[in-house]
Amino acid sequence: MRYIQRQSAFARGLHWIHTIACMSLFVTGLMLFIPAVASAVGLGAMQGARTVHRVMAVIFIAAPLLAVVVNPKGFKHFLKNMFYKWDAGDKEFMAKFFPYLFTGAKQHMPEQKELKSGQALSDWMLFAFAIAISISGVFLWLSASGVAINGTLTLWMLVAHDVAFVLLGLMMFVHIYLGAGVFQPYRGSVRLMFGDGKVSESDALYHWGTWAKEELAKGDKVSVE
Amino acid sequence: MAETAILYDASKCTACKGCQIACKQWNQLPAPLTAEEYEFTKSYQGPLDLDPDTWLLMTFSEVSMDIGVEWNFMRHACFHCTDAACEMACPVGAITHKETGAVVIDQDKCIGCQYCVNNCPFSIPRAKVIGGTDYAKSFKCWQCFDRTSADKDPACVTACPTDALEYGDRAEMVAKAKARVDTLKEQGFDKAEIYGENEVGGMHTIIVAHRGLEAHGLIRDPKVPVATNLLDLAKPLSAVGVGVVVGALGFSFAMGSKYKRGEHSYDEKTDTWTIGEVE
Repeated sequence: MRYIQRQSAFARGLHWIHTIACMSLFVTGLMLFIPAVASAVGLGAMQGARTVHRVMAVIFIAAPLLAVVVNPKGFKHFLKNMFYKWDAGDKEFMAKFFPYLFTGAKQHMPEQKELKSGQALSDWMLFAFAIAISISGVFLWLSASGVAINGTLTLWMLVAHDVAFVLLGLMMFVHIYLGAGVFQPYRGSVRLMFGDGKVSESDALYHWGTWAKEELAKGDKVSVE
Repeated sequence: MAETAILYDASKCTACKGCQIACKQWNQLPAPLTAEEYEFTKSYQGPLDLDPDTWLLMTFSEVSMDIGVEWNFMRHACFHCTDAACEMACPVGAITHKETGAVVIDQDKCIGCQYCVNNCPFSIPRAKVIGGTDYAKSFKCWQCFDRTSADKDPACVTACPTDALEYGDRAEMVAKAKARVDTLKEQGFDKAEIYGENEVGGMHTIIVAHRGLEAHGLIRDPKVPVATNLLDLAKPLSAVGVGVVVGALGFSFAMGSKYKRGEHSYDEKTDTWTIGEVE
């Protein structure tokens, strides 16, 4: 069977780092979000969680920034995939996606490019929430460290941090459900970021038909297993 | 135990600072003792503001008059609001209401995030890093809950030589304050007002401000910040959000339980695409 190398080792490495940072931030953030958790685990665990939260926040922000510097070509590719004008197929995909998701994926979906329009939409949202949570988090850290920041501004940064946390958390549920292939039609996609980055010809054609045909024709990323 | 309150009558206060000292003494709060430690403020008010070691501060509003300076005193400390913004913002449940209505910070739970500092509409809580650790903790008046729970008055009340401070059943303190305001008005203090009866859900410090709220440095009609209310809403709303998303994904998973798809293949030479049908 033929396979296409969809994700590079660099992209997978960055995704691994960000996954660990994200999950650690989510768990430690949850400890700070729900008072009952704090009461259950005690002061020592909470102070430990705050320290882990800050260390992981640095990784969360620094890793993608560093990736842009180390691999500008990859970043350019990422931007190209994220920002493009939707054609009729992209719009049709989004219009059909929710019926597809909730009725057993029986619908025939239009062919997609390297990034489905729904994926791009989800990535934009993740990107926006990640920026909001990062900026507000830096403000909160500075404020708690004694830097003189206007109290009202700090308060609104806390609101922004909480809102971004909740939205990002909800988006992560969907991201994991689809990305890790919990959703039956997406089975096997976990291999893309947590395996060797390859996708089978059949799955590639099903998910990203236009892109898959281009890659199969080019052949430089195709292997037979 | 019924709801209680401290009644502070500014018209009886001589600003002797006995309450401020008693607070420091009972709660074992350090104070600067040497000239090097203490910055001369050019005011009888010292220190100029509350700090982590000063939970009660007598303030002196000095208003220039034709015949000199008029002083308006105020006992500046936590008001122990019913709708306490600090309690709403605390992410770890370290700030709670006691049965008396006192709003108390549990130092064993405080993680020093200082959200209470930013949320309090009166800027009452103050934080400092605890010696020997890298972590801060927030501090403020706790209405001497150790004393009141043992049927004793708060330390500040016991020290007042002019009965400007009283402690007791909240309803009784409110009634006394109202009666006092009426008396003061009869005596010519037209602007005399009561503070704390209804503000921020009702406070557990009731104040008689004989020269009007603003003259004593009190905030008229204080509100819990909008942002604090949003923070309070975030938790139940996010629980609903999680329920909706998890439920929707569960439904999607259930609907796809019998999903099976045939193999897709592509012949690039003939540009022929074979589609495996969904069963």
